[in-house]
Amino acid sequence: MTPLRRWSLVALVAALVILAPLLPRLLPASASDVTAAELLSRVQTSGERAYSGYVETDGAVQLAVGDDFSDLAELFGDRMRLRVWWQDEDAWRVNRLLLSGEEDLVHDGERTTSYDYERARAVTSRDPEIRLPRTSDLVPPSMGRITTDGAGAEEVSRLPARRIAGVSAPGLRLEPTSEQTTIDHVDLWVDEDTGLALRVEVYAGASSTPVLTTAFREFSAAAPEPAQVADTWSGQVERDFDDTVDLADAANQYAPFRVPRRVAGLERRTAGNGAVGVYGTGVTRLIAVPLREGDADDLRESLLGSPAAVATDAGTLLAVGPVSVFLTSEGFSYVLAGTVTDETLLRAAEDIVAGVRLRGRFE
Amino acid sequence: MIRVELSKLLRSRRTWTTVLLIDALPTLVGVLLAVTDLGPRPGEGPAFLSAVLTDGTLFPLAALAIVLPLFLPIAVSVTAGEAIAGEAAAGTLRYVLVRPVGRLRLLVAKLVAAMAFVVLTVLVVAATAYVVGVTLLGDQSVQVVGSTSVSGTSLSTPELVGRTFLALGYAMLCMLGVAAIALFLSTVASSSLGAALGTMSIFVGSSLLLTLDASEAIRDYLPTRYWLAFVDLFRDPILWRDLQAGVILQGTYVAVFFAAAWANFATKDVTE
Amino acid sequence: MSGDTAIRTQGLTKYFGRFEAVSDLSLDVREGDVYGFLGANGSGKTTTVRMLLGLVLATSGEIEVLGRPMPRSGREVLPHVGSMIEGPAAYAHLSGRANLTLFDAMAPRSRRTGRKDRVEETLDRVGLGGVDERPVKNYSLGMRQRLGLAAALLRRPRLLVLDEPTNGLDPQGIRDIRALLLELNADGTTIFVSSHLLTEIEQLCTRVGVLDRGRMVVQEQLAVLRAPTGRILLGTPEPGAALAHLDRLGRSVEQHDDRRLAVRAPDAAQLNAELVRAGIGVDELSVERRSLEDVVLAATSGGNDTFARPSRDVQDAS
Repeated sequence: MTPLRRWSLVALVAALVILAPLLPRLLPASASDVTAAELLSRVQTSGERAYSGYVETDGAVQLAVGDDFSDLAELFGDRMRLRVWWQDEDAWRVNRLLLSGEEDLVHDGERTTSYDYERARAVTSRDPEIRLPRTSDLVPPSMGRITTDGAGAEEVSRLPARRIAGVSAPGLRLEPTSEQTTIDHVDLWVDEDTGLALRVEVYAGASSTPVLTTAFREFSAAAPEPAQVADTWSGQVERDFDDTVDLADAANQYAPFRVPRRVAGLERRTAGNGAVGVYGTGVTRLIAVPLREGDADDLRESLLGSPAAVATDAGTLLAVGPVSVFLTSEGFSYVLAGTVTDETLLRAAEDIVAGVRLRGRFE
Repeated sequence: MIRVELSKLLRSRRTWTTVLLIDALPTLVGVLLAVTDLGPRPGEGPAFLSAVLTDGTLFPLAALAIVLPLFLPIAVSVTAGEAIAGEAAAGTLRYVLVRPVGRLRLLVAKLVAAMAFVVLTVLVVAATAYVVGVTLLGDQSVQVVGSTSVSGTSLSTPELVGRTFLALGYAMLCMLGVAAIALFLSTVASSSLGAALGTMSIFVGSSLLLTLDASEAIRDYLPTRYWLAFVDLFRDPILWRDLQAGVILQGTYVAVFFAAAWANFATKDVTE
Repeated sequence: MSGDTAIRTQGLTKYFGRFEAVSDLSLDVREGDVYGFLGANGSGKTTTVRMLLGLVLATSGEIEVLGRPMPRSGREVLPHVGSMIEGPAAYAHLSGRANLTLFDAMAPRSRRTGRKDRVEETLDRVGLGGVDERPVKNYSLGMRQRLGLAAALLRRPRLLVLDEPTNGLDPQGIRDIRALLLELNADGTTIFVSSHLLTEIEQLCTRVGVLDRGRMVVQEQLAVLRAPTGRILLGTPEPGAALAHLDRLGRSVEQHDDRRLAVRAPDAAQLNAELVRAGIGVDELSVERRSLEDVVLAATSGGNDTFARPSRDVQDAS
């Protein structure tokens, strides 16, 4: 064989092995004639559907919010690899894969156990009324339901189908009509049979790249084995119970305040009368959390560390992509954050400061 | 010819020195951990290292995670990089070829010898680490049967042993990929140092590219992409996704670079 | 057997890039020959040897070794060829014995049985039978040379291809090797020796090829090259008388000094008788033959490793 022929053979083998994994992507997705409104309602009511799969997320929101909120910053600013087994809203397990370990969330009825391999600890807490976002909110079906929550048929249109994790999934575009949100649109590709979102892309402003993408790489609509969603930790794992899930939950339970029912024209989502308020629907959403003085100072320092931060008499404002954070400086410190415009957030802050009432200890 | 290469490998003092040097680091780490009882902070340090203080039987895996990213590939680059270029520089290549030893047969024998070196090193490291782990590390006061998976569930001893051997096999395959690249460069470069450095720069470059978002499009083709996927064997259930991709990727690297080595060497003028 | 060709090349040409190392070379080595392949350093000897053994691939031309085309039939041909190319080489950290054992095991279809005996016997042949287990890196140059020769002899080859086999040997060693090669040749081994040392070739070879800048300039039996020149060299204490007498006889004296004369004459005995009859003493008499050096110098264009600048001065002077 001449050298030329030999090298041609090598080049051929190399080309084949490089192109082979790309072939499945060329498989066309079959068109679907489901209407946008129908698809939207399927997404919104997909909560009790079982599924399992492997998810990759990619967030581009770099929140400079300090150590107390570092989990949150990771959630929206990093890549994550998740495995999820979902029987229904009451029984699921979301498993975040780390390079040399993992973090699990196992949900059982009204309790959630969070397990961390590196710490060899599993901490159980009851489900709170209000909490910060966590990994289970980022799996595509959850993201689908969160972003389309409260959306009307006039806000959605159809997109061509795409093949996601081998499933031919019709697309849906949500363009919120609200003037208060920073989210331009959300693209979803949905498993037509179950209404489970398989891929969600969130776009802010005029940018053509999503600020947050979450998508299945492997997907099965079959119910997972019960053993997969049970907590079966070995004897070497330290078990613990915690009264509060996170900072927001703790503040909600113990801070002696009561937030107003409505801020900046947005209704409070939660019925309870705690110190923390979540307002708005769908992609027009904000949360207000009171902070202890020390925590507030730390957060203020972190926020001011970012060149984009703006300090006013009323407080410190930092907008990162679609997310705005405002920390009040008058009286008690409230931090407000959400996917709403700066004006909305500042108005909301004024309303909070004006509307917060001290809560009696035995009220 | 394979037997000749293996005998050369085992009789070379350098082979054993290299194996011992590679083995020294995890052993030192193990001894230091045992003496100071200071594990790495959770989430830092190589995989499994934070767990060995409570479970010494995991130390072979921690040792593997210590040597796999840098030490082992460097040793493999040097060994396999010497395959052709080293013989050429010593002048023995011409005598080997006129024995005659077929050029393809020589390449196969060299790759097998490099692989034998990897197997030897990995087994020595694993065995030493097991002894260190069981005698020095681990909390002997807690008598727990089996170990804990990365997902927190119990692993029976047979499961742990089986998965450990799968992990060792996977690591060996990754090193075979390195060896194939080094072998190819060894047929190209005129000095074995050049071949070894070339190989090292490929996997160091690959590790660097993996940390860049901009290299997204080529990520899955980079040789070091799935090196640490052996950790996935210790999840519950086992996450096969990356392991499968890793096996296919390394197989591809071996096939392509071995073919390239053959294409280059088969009609190369041996003038040294 | 003798008369069959051991090595034959036709139009053998090798380019390294644009440099033509060997040009249209036609070698003809017959079985039973001790063939001397002469040439200055850089004349293409080693490249040719490497092409014969399939190490370097010819740009064009045909090679036949032991009647089979090379390098295509290397698997069948090379087991019958022993070689030493550009000096010996061995795995430096192993002993000579271990090296030979390895080289023996490398060959295709080599058997383990009798390997130890083969190795010992070969070591004996090259005079290393009593060597200890020291690694080759502690060998002297001569010992390495002997070891290289041993490796070449390991499989009792029909053809030995040796490049500078006496390099680094002391006079005794050179003599040993020469004796060994002649003995092997007497047993039927064809020997192809390449060298830049004229005397070595002259003492050993039956046929000679001379390479100059990649081209074969002479290829002939040594006996033919060294045919008498037709002159007789004569030593006498009375050169004046001898000169006068020979002049009278009509013999042409082509060269002379105060002791010796070079006379053109067909028969030395007759010349001797003529001088003795005239009462002129003769204390030395020999038939003049051309030396190999003369042949080579006449045929070649000087060393191949000199690259003289084309001289301007010469042109100016003319």
